[in-house]
Amino acid sequence: MEETEVFNYKYKNDPLVSVSFPITIPNFESLEELSRILLLKNNLPIYVSLDLTHQLHQFIDDFNLNYYDKRTTKLLQDFKNLPVIEDITKEWDKLIKEETVEYGDRRCASDEELFGTAYHKLVHSPALETMLQLECMYAISVRERVNEKDFQIKSLSEKQTEEMSKAVDKLEEGITELDINEMAARHFDDQSFLRVQLTSELETIKETQRREYREWLMQMLEESQANNSLSVTKTSPLLPCIPSQLFCSVQHNHNQHQASILEESFTIHLGSQLKQMHNIRILSADVMDLCAIQENEHLADTTPQLLQTALGLYSNDLCGLVLMTDNVIGSRLSKDFTEICQRTTEFHFPYVDDQLERISSTLQKYQADNASRIASSKNLQTGDVYITRHSNLAQVHVIFHMVCDDSLYGNDINSRHPVVLGLRNMLKSACSNDVTFLTIPLLLQYEMSEGMTVTWCTKRAELVFKCVKGFMIEMASWGGSDLKNLQFLLPKGISSDVFQSLTTMLPNIFKVSNPVILKSNP
Amino acid sequence: MTASLLKNPELQFGATTFFAKEHKGETCGSNGLPLTPNSIIIYGKAQKLKMLKHPNLCTYLDIIRGKHERTVIVSQYCGEPLSSYLGKERFSYDDIKKIAYKIFLALHYMHMKKIVHRSLSTENILVQENNNIKLFNYGLFYMTDNGKLVSFPIVQLSYAAPEVYLDGPNGSLSNPKVDVWSAGIILAELVLNKPLWQSLKVGQRIRKVLSLVQGNTSIFERIAREHNCYDIYLSVPSDLKQIIEVCLTIMPCDRPTVQIILKNEVFAQFKTAKESNRRKIYEPFEQFTIEELYHWWQLAGGDVLLELKKQGLIRSSPPILSLPQMVLIDGLILGQERNPATLYDSRIIQMPLEALYQRFEHISLNCYYPLIHVKSEILSNGNDSSYDAEQLPLVIREKDPEYQFHRVILLRRLLHGYPHTRDLIITESIKDIPPLLRGKIWAALLNVRGDYQEEYIKIDKETPTPTDRQIEVDIPRCHQYNELLSSSEGHRKLKRVLKAWIYKNSQYVYWQGLDSLTAPFLFLNFNDEAKAFACLSKFIPKYLHNFFLRDNSAVIHEYLAKFSQLIAFQDPVLANHLENINFIPELFAIPWFLTMFSHVFPLHKIFHLWDRLLLGDSSFPLHVGLSILTQLRDTLLASGFNECILLFSDLPEVDMEQCVNFSLETYSTTPKSITARTQQSEKCVYVTTMGIPAQDLNKEKFPRISVDDVVNLIRNDSERIIIIDIRNPTQYARSSAKGSINIPCSSITFGEVNIENVGMHSSLLKNNKDKIVVIIGTEETNLDLFPTFLIHCNIPKVCVLHGGFNSLLPVTPTILITQNQI
Repeated sequence: MEETEVFNYKYKNDPLVSVSFPITIPNFESLEELSRILLLKNNLPIYVSLDLTHQLHQFIDDFNLNYYDKRTTKLLQDFKNLPVIEDITKEWDKLIKEETVEYGDRRCASDEELFGTAYHKLVHSPALETMLQLECMYAISVRERVNEKDFQIKSLSEKQTEEMSKAVDKLEEGITELDINEMAARHFDDQSFLRVQLTSELETIKETQRREYREWLMQMLEESQANNSLSVTKTSPLLPCIPSQLFCSVQHNHNQHQASILEESFTIHLGSQLKQMHNIRILSADVMDLCAIQENEHLADTTPQLLQTALGLYSNDLCGLVLMTDNVIGSRLSKDFTEICQRTTEFHFPYVDDQLERISSTLQKYQADNASRIASSKNLQTGDVYITRHSNLAQVHVIFHMVCDDSLYGNDINSRHPVVLGLRNMLKSACSNDVTFLTIPLLLQYEMSEGMTVTWCTKRAELVFKCVKGFMIEMASWGGSDLKNLQFLLPKGISSDVFQSLTTMLPNIFKVSNPVILKSNP
Repeated sequence: MTASLLKNPELQFGATTFFAKEHKGETCGSNGLPLTPNSIIIYGKAQKLKMLKHPNLCTYLDIIRGKHERTVIVSQYCGEPLSSYLGKERFSYDDIKKIAYKIFLALHYMHMKKIVHRSLSTENILVQENNNIKLFNYGLFYMTDNGKLVSFPIVQLSYAAPEVYLDGPNGSLSNPKVDVWSAGIILAELVLNKPLWQSLKVGQRIRKVLSLVQGNTSIFERIAREHNCYDIYLSVPSDLKQIIEVCLTIMPCDRPTVQIILKNEVFAQFKTAKESNRRKIYEPFEQFTIEELYHWWQLAGGDVLLELKKQGLIRSSPPILSLPQMVLIDGLILGQERNPATLYDSRIIQMPLEALYQRFEHISLNCYYPLIHVKSEILSNGNDSSYDAEQLPLVIREKDPEYQFHRVILLRRLLHGYPHTRDLIITESIKDIPPLLRGKIWAALLNVRGDYQEEYIKIDKETPTPTDRQIEVDIPRCHQYNELLSSSEGHRKLKRVLKAWIYKNSQYVYWQGLDSLTAPFLFLNFNDEAKAFACLSKFIPKYLHNFFLRDNSAVIHEYLAKFSQLIAFQDPVLANHLENINFIPELFAIPWFLTMFSHVFPLHKIFHLWDRLLLGDSSFPLHVGLSILTQLRDTLLASGFNECILLFSDLPEVDMEQCVNFSLETYSTTPKSITARTQQSEKCVYVTTMGIPAQDLNKEKFPRISVDDVVNLIRNDSERIIIIDIRNPTQYARSSAKGSINIPCSSITFGEVNIENVGMHSSLLKNNKDKIVVIIGTEETNLDLFPTFLIHCNIPKVCVLHGGFNSLLPVTPTILITQNQI
């Protein structure tokens, strides 16, 4: 687009003092400096300096103006000859309406937003306790139903097995193979019928709970706003009077469970001059323990984690977790996870199945629009990430489902591996969506397997540490929210020796902050 | 009554906000580094706007980067928008002419600075109480690189010239003549006293503007007819009508520039004689300006982002509701809807100043006019109303609005009188330096003189040189956490200053670290490269003389040898430990001194460090180095070689105020001759008198002290000195320094490191804490063994008299005595 014009200069027609220099137009440089350079390069006498600068100014001003005039005038002339008012107007109209508040469509807050605001307000009020108790009661009733469902299905299959074995025993006594087959078919039908029936019952209960809960919550907000204080908490009619044990210390029978968790925490800093602090924890645990709410004998006991999840749900500090899955959305690999999600009612977001379905349809739509990707794979590719949101898990709000393949078992993955790249994309999206607490599998595996020797573990951990460190340094310039807490998860049952060697590796890769030592006598 | 100075109606400010365009997908710059976020580019570009000062422009005050690419622009905002006058009482034609003149003046100033407004409208023209007008938000098009850095269009529907629409939303032709068209529309509105096409929708308005292109009759006339105001059109005085007509010329090439319009005789009546033949006239001094007011407002608890949130311009929806559904391997994000909170909202939020007024209410009027040269005692006592905060820690003083008020008022005045007030500036700087004025004060402390800009212009900063490549590699790694320095504008400026320095100092070369050294100056003088360069040019000869020679080993060796000796002098325990583990300063201290610590500390710490450094001489950095070691002393003493290397590879947090105070303490208690170097630019008596050969310097663990310093100490401060004469007792008895004790070198067994071996004087040495131990010998005595032994025994403050006992002989009046006299 730029043009080059040659600047010719002569001082008072003196043939000895002359310059000719090509200048790009439009030009916004400092002309005083340019004239200095010209002066030096052409060995001009110093007394022409003022005149030269003046002429340069004139030259640039003229040509800049000329540059724009020429182009804009051409636009107008073309338009005069061929008026295409409609296209131009439409283009501007669309952009203005899409991008500005003033002319855009007035949009009111969605239901989700309204409920979110209400919930956030109430959860940070004295009503919190009642809310959690109610949620807990709902959870218990669902859980009972689930258990009952499991029991019914189990007893049915037991009954059927018994019947079947009896029938098989009598095979010789007048019962034909045909009868047996019929029976088997009937058993199967019964089974699936019962299953569907119970599941739909459960669904109905959840749906009712969800509706009731949301209504109750909005009502409570209204009332509290009317009373202008949130101290009066209205108990739900559903809620039987339970002794308030919520904030009692929960110490019993968790101990043997927690003893098996190996963990160590570090405070690290990144950056060579300005130091940014982050917390890092390495722990060995079952990844599902981070999701599942501990079931408890005591009715009103909820783990404090649930409290934390509730408080942070609509805040700008979300907790995320990376789950490894394969290239099918809602794959069997994450079955355990979906079961945990279904164990209690999801009051805030669509059910996990619905969320996964929506994700599939988004993907399909995208693939339909972009033919190039179809060729490579109908499904997801390794390194793709899909995201679900949850309110009924123990320590997380957001699940990043990372698509991976068998190459992860291998020994030779490097920083260009798709899963590592996916990790980077995921960190970026965490950073731009205010996920500030993140759990990452340090070995990119949640289960111990045969090939995971000590050297394999060390090598893999080093790769992940280093890559994540690089990504975190990069993140600092993205202008999103900082990752405050990073948790590296190791498979449950990893030997304490390996754990030890990995924790000693961390301070060599990340800079661990020095403790501040306060001395009374400086 | 006193707050009235603050309550000037023009001293008000407001803020607007928008989002920069996010970079899509995975892209890298041509240098392979990640792309600079657009908000940072805007941040850098917008700095120039702060420099625009014109009576008809609102001053830009601040640019703030929020989370997720949000940019907030704070600017002067006062008066009523012109649009609110439309349809009410009609302006007289003279008033309209006056307004037109002022608009064109402002536009002319902007166009001179190569800035195109592009969104001129009656909304952003503010009418002041005194009927002056000011343009507001005129830099949006400029700071967003002609709209390329934002996703929303920068256009004012009815006011945009037809070529703006024709160029398309992605067009970037920034012809300054579009502003002339907009001005024409505004004048037409004022004359007709109604906003044009008000009832129409977006698309229709654009169509209206475009339809003006067709047809050959006067645009103004057509507009007037369309709005049923033909009678008004007819009554408009012809000179005004002609201005409007000429502004509304369809073809840009036929439309005049602002410069030409201003020459029209309609405006002749407004031009005063003063303006036409004015040469360089200095602006009158103001006690404070809106920049200072904004600074105090912030200190007094003003928070722009909070205010925007409170008044609803920043709406935040919970992030959990706007999460994307998928992030594909190629970085593509699916299923994330456009967050409506990120749309462009052109509202302006006025910042409330009540809290500041209240906070400053009790400040009496004479505080605005501090007396500087007072000879009368009564007056100077009466002037003692200043706010007492000097005992508070520095960080708190910097945050105290009232204290900063007094400091800024005073130092602004002193700076106004620079260079005549340089001594006073130094005196005040010893107390502290107000952050707002740091750039100017540093320049004053460094003795930067008036014509620095001219000097800088003369330097060729464009011609490529062999060092360019290295500079380009280093700049994207230099203090990049800082928004200014990481912006593309920052990179450009840093490169120019560096190139200028290399050009100007051809005897030196570019050593890595020069970039870090330049960074603080550039940050403080971002809009005045010349000053940054001038500061750098004064700073390097003073503190880093010859450090940037191609072969700088001699300088650095001497420097580090002096540093080792200083450690041994002040802290023999640490020195011995470092020596034992062989952790020599060469391994860690070169970047410290080569960059005067600017490579190892973040900017805000460098500022506090250099505030002091600039007041000291070139030996002060040695004390700073010592002070850093002292802060890490416990860790160092407990560590071996490897741990130390690891510790210093990335310097841990250091408490800067403590560090500075400790440096000052050792600086004041160490005789100057101990840290004097041959390779320093300051004229120094010791260098000529001492001149320690380099091989001696490297060999000796202990520093040497000059005769002058010893004589001074004996005469004035004999309590602070222990003199040990190590000659044999006969010589000692014949003649010795006053107050000296005799420990003949031959009487001591050096085999075992135990202070008791010294004999009767051992307890004196052992209990020594802060007395300087001067050892006097002659050429015959071994001048190496005994002081080294003392240092190994952890005796602090050991030094050797340079030139030995004989150098004391010529001193008159003599300080020598003979033992027989006693």
